[in-house]
Amino acid sequence: MRRYAIQRSLTVIPVLLGVSVLVFGFIHLIPGDPALTMLGERATPEKVTEVRAGLDRPIWQQYGIYIGRVVRGDLGVSIVRGDPVLADLLRRFPATVELATAAIVLAVALGIPIGVASAVWRNSIVDSLARLWALTGVSMPIFWLGLMLAWFFGVELRVLPTGFRLDTGTTFAPWTNFVILDATLQGNWPVLADALRHLVLPAAALATIPLAIIARMTRASMLEVLSREYIRTAEAKGLSQAAVVLRHALRNALLPVLTVIGLQVGHLLAGAILTETIFSWPGIGLWVYESIESRDYAIVQGASLFIAVIVVGVNLMTDLLYAAVDPRIKYD
Amino acid sequence: MRLSRLALLLVVGVCFTPMPALAQTFVFGAQGEPVQLDPAVITDGISSRITRQIFDGLVRYRGSTTEVEPALAEKWEVSRDGRVWTFQLRRNVKFHDDTPLDAAAVVWNFERWWKSGHAQHENQVKAGQTFEYWEAQFGGFDDKSVVAKVEAVGTHTLRITLKDPQAPFLANLAMFVFDIASPRAVETSGTEFGKRPVGTGAFKFVEWKPNQEVILEANPDYWGGKPKVKRVVVRNIKDNSQRLGALKAGEIHAMEGLNPDDVAVVKRDSSLQLLLRPTNTTGYIAFNYKVKEFQDKRVRHAFAHAINKKAIVDALYGGTGLVATQFQPPSLWGYNRELRDFEYSPAKAQELLRQAGFAQGLSDITGEDGKKEPLIFWYMSRSRPYFPNPKEIAEAMAADLAKVGIKVELQTAEWAVYLDKRKNGQLSLYMLGWTGDNGDPDNFLCYFFCQPGASREGFYANPALADVLLRAQKAVSQVERARLYRQAEQMLHDDVGRLFIANNQPPLAFSKRVKGYVPHPTGSEYFHTVEVQ
Repeated sequence: MRRYAIQRSLTVIPVLLGVSVLVFGFIHLIPGDPALTMLGERATPEKVTEVRAGLDRPIWQQYGIYIGRVVRGDLGVSIVRGDPVLADLLRRFPATVELATAAIVLAVALGIPIGVASAVWRNSIVDSLARLWALTGVSMPIFWLGLMLAWFFGVELRVLPTGFRLDTGTTFAPWTNFVILDATLQGNWPVLADALRHLVLPAAALATIPLAIIARMTRASMLEVLSREYIRTAEAKGLSQAAVVLRHALRNALLPVLTVIGLQVGHLLAGAILTETIFSWPGIGLWVYESIESRDYAIVQGASLFIAVIVVGVNLMTDLLYAAVDPRIKYD
Repeated sequence: MRLSRLALLLVVGVCFTPMPALAQTFVFGAQGEPVQLDPAVITDGISSRITRQIFDGLVRYRGSTTEVEPALAEKWEVSRDGRVWTFQLRRNVKFHDDTPLDAAAVVWNFERWWKSGHAQHENQVKAGQTFEYWEAQFGGFDDKSVVAKVEAVGTHTLRITLKDPQAPFLANLAMFVFDIASPRAVETSGTEFGKRPVGTGAFKFVEWKPNQEVILEANPDYWGGKPKVKRVVVRNIKDNSQRLGALKAGEIHAMEGLNPDDVAVVKRDSSLQLLLRPTNTTGYIAFNYKVKEFQDKRVRHAFAHAINKKAIVDALYGGTGLVATQFQPPSLWGYNRELRDFEYSPAKAQELLRQAGFAQGLSDITGEDGKKEPLIFWYMSRSRPYFPNPKEIAEAMAADLAKVGIKVELQTAEWAVYLDKRKNGQLSLYMLGWTGDNGDPDNFLCYFFCQPGASREGFYANPALADVLLRAQKAVSQVERARLYRQAEQMLHDDVGRLFIANNQPPLAFSKRVKGYVPHPTGSEYFHTVEVQ
């Protein structure tokens, strides 16, 4: 186990290096003058000269300087507003984590039972509906779904807000920027209820695709496990169907599902860009979207690197967890 | 038990908490995040909509016109030669930080904009900001500026001396960029002033929640009368459809940035109302005069007859567009009402092409070096008020041109690249437009045609036109200036220098509960007259 953990952790290094090369390189791939690209349209001549001087160095030297800064936690400053990128990133990240966590919880809480039910009552009406739902979910464009949800629940029924994290005029001083956590810690129930109401639609929109994928994966994995001989043995022993399914089959079937859940984190962060934009959710997704529009490449660069690190980290953790849960996993 | 009851309560609460009432608060849905809130260094409409509520200038635009009326300056006079302006400032006006608005404070603001060595100018430039509009409207910084001297000649008397008369001077001063900031606040906050703005305006800055909203509260001591609402919230909703959803759901009271297709949706909804900004924007097609074929006026003339502008405006502007006959939109006082536009006539276009030697049609063009290449029609990759659906509009025009035998290839480029290529004169035939800054005809015509042969204008050189425009810039009498601008439009028309396609009146949507919102051609609208019933 320990050997596996160390080996698996080491594979992260080349991946991160690759990511950093891509993120570093993309600014040079954008058409036009890279100095002007980096500084924006309002660059002063002195700054342009200064940056050009840096760009005249060999590319590997520039990369070295870039990595040196990144390692020290310096992701540069925003071109448009002049604020340090890392500080802005950290201030907005809790909102994204809150949304992504809600989405993954929703996806797991619904996806696994649906998958199990689908497998147990295979080819029944339940299974057909679940499979239809899963297929629709996987192929649903998230921005369209988001708009429809907001339109139906926000505009037509008016039971949920169409966007934002809190109602306008809500006075609330967050401690950590995790609004739900802060409201709970402060015992501020009206704000908690308000925050939860605002969370429902974006979380549902963001959860749709992972939910469908988890449900399909659970179904496939359950079907495979249910055909194993030890399940027949368990049934032959006279165990109840619930015990067979939940105690014997599900535990083993969940292992591949775990990997899929880990992989979904990357998709969630990508999906968050659209979901946050649709629902005016002030996380890094909306921020990156606005920065792309205003050509604030310092932010796009910094945020891309940050998101990549998160995805790589989560996948590493999933794999380690997998190995801990299933002693059969070995590195080869 | 207690836990489950709490959970139940929570679930019920989540579903059934009623929408809170928004009494006393006006919520405006904006298209994006402000860049910052220091009017002197911003150029975008999203930021300036907010700064206009916090600050006042010496003068401002009256109602929905671009005529100038008193604001912080109660009255003014100008010397006979048009060079010396004396302003009497309003008395007993205070900034939101309680410092007085006097002549010294105004002088301080001018020096900050104008002098590159001013500490509060230098620090902005170091931080990557520029005083872009000062440079554009007043000729540059330090000695380059048309401004020669700004002095306080009494506690509330200000004198500005210009090197040369500048006809659009007052119109320039009414722009949001030249709103007066509290010197003390700027000095305290430095480059952070844009996050903690302090002015004399109808609303005081309260809070800016990044990517969410900016909150302002009414200034009860406002010299122009107490605002009708207690609070203003400008919410940032990126997506146009979602913003309309929020308006229909009653979460916001007003919005800009309506999709052309949604104009009809708003009109149909009995709880909503539509207001149009008076048009201040013109979309055009420009020729590159290095292209041999375009040097022949008959070819340009053929283009003018070939394009069915009315059909395009009717189909693709959601009912808010107007056919343009000239560069200035009809709201400007230099507009030429006598000018007769080219009629839509494919037959005439074909005849003109035949005369020019293109009876077989035109699909290739000849560059400066004599090389033939396909005729590319460049269309914008980004929607602007003057061309809300650039791709569809370009396709419609290409189809019109094809009918008379002109075959174009449509092509686009990323927005910044597009503007770059245009600046360097690399586009053979392209679409673009202009939105006016200050309601002065000079701001439309001179920027484009005062430098004959400029690469950014497709090398179009019409020195006689430039001469008329430069004379109009210096003339003091508005009657004389208007005559010159009308003449200039006629000259541009006769030469078929450029094809003007459409003006647009950008639509704004409101809840019917909102009263007193006055749309303005420059987009500078004041919220203190707004009431929410």
